[in-house]
Amino acid sequence: MKIIMENSKAISIAVDYLSWGKLIFMATETVYIAAVDATNPKAVLKLISFKNRPFGKPFSVGVTNIKMAEKYVLLNKQAKNLYERFLPGPITVVSNGKHTVAAGVEAENGTLGIRIPNYPFFLQVANKFNKPITTTSANANYQRRPYKLSDILDNISDKQKKLIDLMIDAGELPYNEPSTVIDTTIDEEPIILRQGDIKLKNKNEIFSRSEENTMNIAKELWQKYEDFKDKRAIVYALEGEMGVGKTIFVKGLAKAMGITDKVTSPSYDLLNSYGKLNHIDTWRMLNPNQELKEIVTKELINDKSIIAIEWADKARDEIRKHAEDAIIVWVKIKYGKRENERFISWGNL
Amino acid sequence: MNILAIDTSCDETAVAVTRNTKACSNVVWSQASLHAKFGGVMPSLAQRQHEERIDYVLNKALGKKYQNLKNIDAIAVTIGPGLSIALGVGINKAKELAIKYKLPLIPINHVEAHLLSPFVNSDTNIQFPALGLVLSGGTTMLCLIKNIGNYEILAETGDDALGEALDKAARFLGLGYPGGAILEKLAKAGNPKKYKLPIPLINDINKNRFSYSGLKTAFVRFFNTIKKPTKQDISDLASTFQEVAFKHVENVLEYQINHSSLTFKHLLLGGGVANNIVLKSKLRKLLKNYNISLCVPNNKKLNGDNAGMIGVCAYLKYNSSNLEQFVNYDSIDRNPKFRI
Repeated sequence: MKIIMENSKAISIAVDYLSWGKLIFMATETVYIAAVDATNPKAVLKLISFKNRPFGKPFSVGVTNIKMAEKYVLLNKQAKNLYERFLPGPITVVSNGKHTVAAGVEAENGTLGIRIPNYPFFLQVANKFNKPITTTSANANYQRRPYKLSDILDNISDKQKKLIDLMIDAGELPYNEPSTVIDTTIDEEPIILRQGDIKLKNKNEIFSRSEENTMNIAKELWQKYEDFKDKRAIVYALEGEMGVGKTIFVKGLAKAMGITDKVTSPSYDLLNSYGKLNHIDTWRMLNPNQELKEIVTKELINDKSIIAIEWADKARDEIRKHAEDAIIVWVKIKYGKRENERFISWGNL
Repeated sequence: MNILAIDTSCDETAVAVTRNTKACSNVVWSQASLHAKFGGVMPSLAQRQHEERIDYVLNKALGKKYQNLKNIDAIAVTIGPGLSIALGVGINKAKELAIKYKLPLIPINHVEAHLLSPFVNSDTNIQFPALGLVLSGGTTMLCLIKNIGNYEILAETGDDALGEALDKAARFLGLGYPGGAILEKLAKAGNPKKYKLPIPLINDINKNRFSYSGLKTAFVRFFNTIKKPTKQDISDLASTFQEVAFKHVENVLEYQINHSSLTFKHLLLGGGVANNIVLKSKLRKLLKNYNISLCVPNNKKLNGDNAGMIGVCAYLKYNSSNLEQFVNYDSIDRNPKFRI
């Protein structure tokens, strides 16, 4: 693995590495990305193996402008509007792909996310390379967001390190959110798959199509507040009908926190603890506000615990009392139209 | 051997005196009875309830015969799994008594006690290896019992427990809590084949786990498509839900029997869902094909949380030998995620 500084000389080195099918790490306006030539199947397999995630989970790709994007995706009116309004910038627009990238880059349903990062170095490399470059974040699956090279290197195995060919160091990046991911292929209106700094609506609402999506959204919501870890208690208050996926969400939180224990429903025991994560369910409580008070003790808050509460709406008053001494993230999960579809929204209390 | 046993792992405050495998007294004070006793004052969480009632339950279990722990040889207490603050109440009481009366204090796993509960008050000669099934509000587990104290988990739930799923379906249908028993009653009047609900994990090739979250979701989604459910619809839904939930248990059980290199004579069934008559007859029917007999506690109380099973579990595990290992009281602490 080679590490070089980000400067004008690095542009042609990066382009060379990409054209040789190598895996390189570079900065964008959001986070560090793991970049390979998105049209090179071998390079894509290398990336999948680095990210440690199953084949079939798509990668977004970066291009330089709308004209280049149209070589790889079909842009409908919604998509064109989004390109005009926000690109270059921290959004990823999902459209129907033209199947001109390597297998494993597009989603299983043939869609592809395109990004035009608002970051001069990236645009210069992409312009010179003149092929789409993967722009997935440079962390392995469910690991810390990469704002500096050490965030990556400190959290991966030796085996993963060996897969990296080149790192282009741009120092520590400002702590911006990863891009907002917007799908233009689902509905008349754009549907948000991941909420970054750019918002389309007043509320944060994300669309989930599977248990895995829901777990992934939980991961995003963990990473958004991860900086408060050990500084404040963090409460995830979960609201939603029976069977909507509240426990699945907590499984995602646990996974993102690096907890390997099997997370099961705490309905019966009321509280299950997994290290720092305390998983509570008020469903069976006769007097949820009172009983929650006895479980979410002063010590738990003072210990800066992470607390996930299912059926939080039943104990709203008690949870509100912690607004001063804890970060409270109120998460609502609703059933969507089709079987596995859910809308997940959140806000701070 | 006479054992004083205490269990405060969840809602129930339970104390028993057992003599070998016999429960001489087995007192359980549940949230429901507390509610009645205090004239509808809403009880707060387990801890305070256990603290309020443990002495009363203890004295009732000891009676005159064992007053001041006369004739008691050892104390057994549940240390997990369960709710930490609730477990603490029973453990503290047990330690206090063990110190005062200088008795061995035996830590017990609540799930293991459910697993062995068919031994309580029974003289059936259970042969090992056997299969064990614990189905309750908090546990759904199938295991291989190689011998007492030596288990291998063959399948357990990755999300909801069976008893929890039944309770949730019942409450969703407006039947109240705990709803498993009400659901069973209602299901009798229903047609279990009227609706189609997906049997959990039907496509698993290796049936080595349970899951009830998907069934719960399908149930809610299906219910919401019925415009104005009649009483008969509710009965049919209850019946269908129960049928499908049990079918999942049968499927996993049958798979594990077929894929085991061992042959079994007995299956031990414990936990609150073991009170369900439909479940028991389904299991008996299935097991008959394999010449396995179903061993299940002979009264309802022994299926729910109780301390009789704790005392008997302690007796079966340690007999009267090796009790001197249990005098180091400080080493005994709650273990909310205790695994068998």
